[in-house]
Amino acid sequence: MKGKRTYRSKMRILADMMRAIQGEGENGAGPTKILYTANLSHDRLTQYLDELVEKELIILANSESNSRVYGLTEKGRSFLKEFVRVERISEAFGIEV
Amino acid sequence: MQEQMVTLIRLDLLFETIGGIIALMVAYYATKAFNLTGQKRLSDLSTGFLVLAAGLFSHVGGTWYFFVRFGVEGGLNPNLTRLFVLVTVAYHVLRIMAYILFVVSTRQSVRTKQPEMVMLLALPVLIDINLEILTIIILLVVVLQAFMNYAVVRSRYALYVLTGFSMFLLSHLFLILAVDNVRTYLISQALQLLGFIAFLVMLYKAGRE
Repeated sequence: MKGKRTYRSKMRILADMMRAIQGEGENGAGPTKILYTANLSHDRLTQYLDELVEKELIILANSESNSRVYGLTEKGRSFLKEFVRVERISEAFGIEV
Repeated sequence: MQEQMVTLIRLDLLFETIGGIIALMVAYYATKAFNLTGQKRLSDLSTGFLVLAAGLFSHVGGTWYFFVRFGVEGGLNPNLTRLFVLVTVAYHVLRIMAYILFVVSTRQSVRTKQPEMVMLLALPVLIDINLEILTIIILLVVVLQAFMNYAVVRSRYALYVLTGFSMFLLSHLFLILAVDNVRTYLISQALQLLGFIAFLVMLYKAGRE
């Protein structure tokens, strides 16, 4: 049960990170912007960014260590769209996701 | 007169079939949401709409078989009458089960005694009018929970859900008044359909806006 709850909140965090990237439009978002918008610790940010890249939901658009920028992939866009729909439906029934 | 009755029954079957299809659609999206998030209450919600759809389709099938196929004026032999009563009771029980699942899945995050209380109420009833009263009591809890949720989140999606459940409640209130009145019965069916349409609009808008 506890495991499930951790996973749920993780889904939410991943979606928040992707929203932060989407919010920056075509330019993409840097780690600092994602960190503040998704309200994350640095360790978690690194871990989840790697995971999102691995799952091909985001892409590292600029890999220079001083100015790394992440953008949403097409897969990421459709995942986020689906998540927003799920979030709205769940919220409409009073269910937190 | 008999012909008019059969027409009305067919209209009622059409309403319930559309309602059943919409219930299946809500169940589908709730399952999808459960698979994505692992939130158990979404699974309960999905099961609730599945059970509701099963109830509606069993009622449609039963009514079609007994009234349209055999004809209203022909009357039913005692065995068929018993079977029809069984189908009707099954329909009510399925709906009550669905509404109890709605109570459980849409409860507020802060724990209350409501689900247990409703489960106790569900136990011993087998007569139609009592089943309707029981259904209304359970639906009242569902509507109150939907209202409290709307009061908190104030989203249009929550308003559609509140409207849907409120229509279901009104539909059951009209059903209780419709003992000998076909028109009131039809109003009740139309209200139920409106409730399902509210859910359909919510699903559509949640994916579009």
